Amino acid sequence: MADTKDIWKAIKTLAEGIPPSPALLPDFLLDAAGGLCSARGRISNLTNFERMLVTLRHKEPDRVPCCPIICGAGRRLIGNSYAEFCADPIIAAESFVAGFNLIGGDGVVALVDLSIEAADFGQKLIYPNNSTAHPDYTNPVIKDIEDYRKLKPIDFKQAVRMQGYTNALSIMVRRLGFRGFVAGFLFGPLGVLNMMRGTQELFKDCVTHPEDVMAACETITGVLIEFAEAQCDSGVVMVVIDTLFASWNGLSKELWEKIEGPFAREIASAIRKKGCLVGVHNCGNGIYFDAQIRSMEPAAISFAHLPDDCSSRKELKKRYGDHIVLIGMIDTPLLTRGTPYEVMVECRKQIDDLAPGGGYILSPGCEFPQNAPLENAYAMVKAAELYR
Amino acid sequence: MSKEEVGLMDKIKAAVAAYQVDETVVLTTRAMDAGLSMKNVRHAICDGLNTLRRNLMSNHTSLPEFLLCIDAATQGLAKLSEFTDAGDKGVLTIVIGVVEGDPHDLGKNIISGVYRACGYRVVDLGVQVRAEEFERAVLENKAEILALSAMMSTTMVCMPDIIRTVRLKCPGTVIMVGGAPLDSQLAEKYGADGYAQSAVTVVEETERALEKKAKRGIA
Repeated sequence: MADTKDIWKAIKTLAEGIPPSPALLPDFLLDAAGGLCSARGRISNLTNFERMLVTLRHKEPDRVPCCPIICGAGRRLIGNSYAEFCADPIIAAESFVAGFNLIGGDGVVALVDLSIEAADFGQKLIYPNNSTAHPDYTNPVIKDIEDYRKLKPIDFKQAVRMQGYTNALSIMVRRLGFRGFVAGFLFGPLGVLNMMRGTQELFKDCVTHPEDVMAACETITGVLIEFAEAQCDSGVVMVVIDTLFASWNGLSKELWEKIEGPFAREIASAIRKKGCLVGVHNCGNGIYFDAQIRSMEPAAISFAHLPDDCSSRKELKKRYGDHIVLIGMIDTPLLTRGTPYEVMVECRKQIDDLAPGGGYILSPGCEFPQNAPLENAYAMVKAAELYR
Repeated sequence: MSKEEVGLMDKIKAAVAAYQVDETVVLTTRAMDAGLSMKNVRHAICDGLNTLRRNLMSNHTSLPEFLLCIDAATQGLAKLSEFTDAGDKGVLTIVIGVVEGDPHDLGKNIISGVYRACGYRVVDLGVQVRAEEFERAVLENKAEILALSAMMSTTMVCMPDIIRTVRLKCPGTVIMVGGAPLDSQLAEKYGADGYAQSAVTVVEETERALEKKAKRGIA
């Protein structure tokens, strides 16, 4: 519930020319504004800000908003290598802004790479020129079970990559202003551990030594909370937590709720206290919507596949669409191999299933593939404009 | 087979399915000492793994448990390889690896484990493997199957080149591809003989690709 302090913060943000997070405003005001915008959307085009506001209030906008999640692919537009995109916050910000300006859409989800947090915890990374940064898997920080408890918190002020990322968000937020919502991104504690241990060993450790894994999660969570708070302070509307392992591609639901669930809850709670919306990204197969909602109470979930308890998009919409903003779920292989027209056809099907009643953002199931043809991202934006 | 032998095979199967590594190794040794054929013991190990693979398919088990099960099966098979058995012939060879530029080996390791447990001879080239290394390994091992893995959209684009390179010298080799950024249509576009979405379907998809190629009279 927004209080007076939050409203002042919203006013201050507005004065800076930045869209305030809807979480800063009281529900009655948001509902009134959302209702008015929704009504106006029936007769005229809404601005991106209005459209997102209406969507977040689960009302029908003039058309479905679109977020093509152009991240690493954006650096192609400004002629930089992936290594430069990862290392230089100004290049990263410029890439996201270029993707938004040239391709379009209503918002930006700013994912640089999934190793940012692990790098600051001391994980050695490899930065290829044409592909995403990744850990040097021959030299993981956590080599054995006892290393989980040896992991020490880091000084966030000295965390070069997390600080750089936050700076990039700050630049983006100010460059985009009211033209588009910006969402920050962080990898959940198990994701960070995955980068420092390797997936195979981490998975097995979760079954055989859950207490040790949780001890490391606790250490990491403290730093992630600072990271999340810094993202909120940069002016983003939402911070997205990636909890990939809450899916059939990760742990069982029970084990995820035991190991990562409590820590994800702490991070989500810190984001809300800062007056930002909580988003969840999970591109796993059979994702656990219910468990993640119990843990993080997110406003929105970005997903690639149907959740474990739904057998169709329509069922998903019926079960979760009235209280969770659904962000998805265009298949990324289709964006790589398909023609723009095929992409538009698929977008239309998903809009038909997920858009009625509002609360839906057309988007790929994951980051737009870095080397996929960018006309397919444009096809998504165009589909959102055409297929109301 | 005697009742005792059947009982021993059931115990091996249960030990693998319960991912008990030490128990699997002990039972494998006992079974071989008791005179069971290598083929039957391998079947028991494979059955144990397949129990969990079916559970994975129906989401009654999760990946971490399946990984532990693969460890048990792999250790059992390693113990089994210490015994010689003149009757154990006709094993198909698979060369497997992750393509150049890609360091992600979880999927490949799972698939290797499944192939091994299901009786294939697996030559695992690891990660970041170049086209010529795949070609050399297929030729040297006279492999019937080549399995390529990629986990990134930036690295999967190497696959058509690898497939062309291998096809030139080994036209009879069945080439399978898999990995998160792929689907069956991309696999076909790249010229692969088959695609498997996960460990759940990989054995059946490989058998299907082998049959398809055999019917065409190339293999």
